[in-house]
Amino acid sequence: MEQILNILIADDNPSDRILLKAILSQFGHNVISAVDGQDAVEKFDPDSIQLVCLDVKMPRKDGWEAALEIQRAAGDLFVPIIFLSGVADPIALSNCLRIGGTDFISKPYSPALITAKLNAIVRLLVMQKTLEEQRDAMSLYNEQLVHDQNVAKVVYENITHSNCLKDPALSTVHYGTHTFNGDVILAAYKPNGGMHLLLGDFTGHGLSAAIGALPLADIFFDWTKKGFLMRQIIPEINARLKSILPANMFCSAAFVDIKVNNKSIEIWNGGLPDLLFFSQQSKIPARFESKNLPLGILPPDVFECQIDPVTFVPGDRLVVFSDGVYEAQDKSGAMFCHSVLNPLYEGEIADDRALDWMVEQLTQEGVLENPHDDISCLSVRLDSNIGIESPDHGVPTSHHEAPADFSFEYLLNADSLRNTDPLPYVLQIITTVPGLSSFSSQIFMILSELYSNALEHGVLGLSSYKKSSSDGFSQYYDEREQKLAALKEGYVKISVKVTSSGNERVLALYVEDSGSGFDYQNISFDMSSSELLYNRGLALLDQLCHKLEFSKGGRGVTAYYHWQVGQDS
Amino acid sequence: MVESSFDDKTECLTIFVDGRFDYSCHKLFKEAFVSANKAASVYEIDLSRVTYLDSSALGMLLLLRDHAGGEKADVRLKKPNGAVLDILKIANFHRLFDIEE
Repeated sequence: MEQILNILIADDNPSDRILLKAILSQFGHNVISAVDGQDAVEKFDPDSIQLVCLDVKMPRKDGWEAALEIQRAAGDLFVPIIFLSGVADPIALSNCLRIGGTDFISKPYSPALITAKLNAIVRLLVMQKTLEEQRDAMSLYNEQLVHDQNVAKVVYENITHSNCLKDPALSTVHYGTHTFNGDVILAAYKPNGGMHLLLGDFTGHGLSAAIGALPLADIFFDWTKKGFLMRQIIPEINARLKSILPANMFCSAAFVDIKVNNKSIEIWNGGLPDLLFFSQQSKIPARFESKNLPLGILPPDVFECQIDPVTFVPGDRLVVFSDGVYEAQDKSGAMFCHSVLNPLYEGEIADDRALDWMVEQLTQEGVLENPHDDISCLSVRLDSNIGIESPDHGVPTSHHEAPADFSFEYLLNADSLRNTDPLPYVLQIITTVPGLSSFSSQIFMILSELYSNALEHGVLGLSSYKKSSSDGFSQYYDEREQKLAALKEGYVKISVKVTSSGNERVLALYVEDSGSGFDYQNISFDMSSSELLYNRGLALLDQLCHKLEFSKGGRGVTAYYHWQVGQDS
Repeated sequence: MVESSFDDKTECLTIFVDGRFDYSCHKLFKEAFVSANKAASVYEIDLSRVTYLDSSALGMLLLLRDHAGGEKADVRLKKPNGAVLDILKIANFHRLFDIEE
């Protein structure tokens, strides 16, 4: 541990000073001499001096005073100070250490003792230097890490927040334990009205938890926009997460599909605490428990989708929260789900206050000051206009374009009906007509109404009378599932024809099924009688289209959709 | 705290977890089944002394299940207390593990 030091020595006794300088120089150190305390303070430069030796008794300024000033000048730098003393008084010597001296050397000088003490000091200095270097490296590393995280956070938020969380029907609460949050809340309007919602909670916290949110959000937004159904999107997300996440990582999530045209929601819960559905008809909220494994655990071939359907009336509310709330501990150490949350479960909290109330409880119980887990809550006021008049569906922009005339036909037989949902593909072709893409939401709604009527009432022969009660409603969907799985024959034909004349464009959507038709003469298109759930579909179609035409005894129906292009230029 | 023992006769590896089962157990828990020098045919996780279990603990159980052969794994979760059982049920882990109450 050989090291050359710059040493400042101060002693008013010239012979002692010269002797000490000689001893220290003999070891190769650079020695700067001062004649008293004041002189030492003036000659001290914290950047070059590594060790200071001060005689205790000196004129103008004694060693103790000089030591204090030198320590002040050194600031954060560690510069050891050794006192030189002719007195052997233990109290005086211990004073030297008390004011921050590192050691003392008694006179007369013993070269052997000085050598030993210097070696000890050098070891101390080397240790100090290593510590300082490590500290600086750590703080630099930390700065870099924070910087990287902030950059990544911007990217992350752009991807996970490109959604419609600002919709007035939604309110959310989000508390993260780190820069990154392992929880995500995603919301996206569906092209045919309504909304998809997802609240997800990845294993762990921080960046490693957040990283899985990127593919999740990507699939969620992209597939929703393209018109895929919840039961198609969930398996896709599961498969993607399964293939990219390590075995010990997964995402507990709830997926909610809000369907506005028949005022219902579908709930998929995989690993989150019960979702609460507050109906105006019942004091106590209905609970939708987790019936599925979280996303990213099961391989695609054994993954199942257990979905609960439920009808709503405008003003009903759904509340979803992550286990950061459920498992939070109150001040007595009990978990929220067994203590604090009880009034919520028992319907004692007004549903529109549920979120504020939860935040109050979390604050009161001190959870928010020191959260163990990311906390997310979502509350949605259900209504039949969600996603219908959203700004995203924007004002159609006008285009200069070539006239478009084309037609195509899509025939789906039993196999295809069982295994595929043709609508996103048909929609994609239709919206290649530039002017038509701005109307994709209406067209998708028309198309999906026509298709589900043809499939459910035509091919599967389901009666929509069942849907008029909420029990019947879920029975209806169970039956739909069973009949579809057992389907051996039948078809749905979709023909699309686009014609143009001047600025006028007409889209004719013709859908025919293999069923037995129905009595279309007696249909009421009156929306005011819309308590009848089963009639809403046709009434809605009638409003969206220019003209609705039945043929083949009700087995065929054509919807005409008119629009104009380039009228304002 | 994590302890493990291996029964030569039954080829059963028992892992005993005490207190909070969370990320802090990660290293010990993983070592308990990775470093076992004999291949176990049955895994028993004694949860009777576990007071709380978080999502990273669920992740560790999945890791163990993978290690033990995935679909074919024989992993038994023994005697979880009420709160722990609740968490296992919400995650639908009874579809992946034998939970013995």
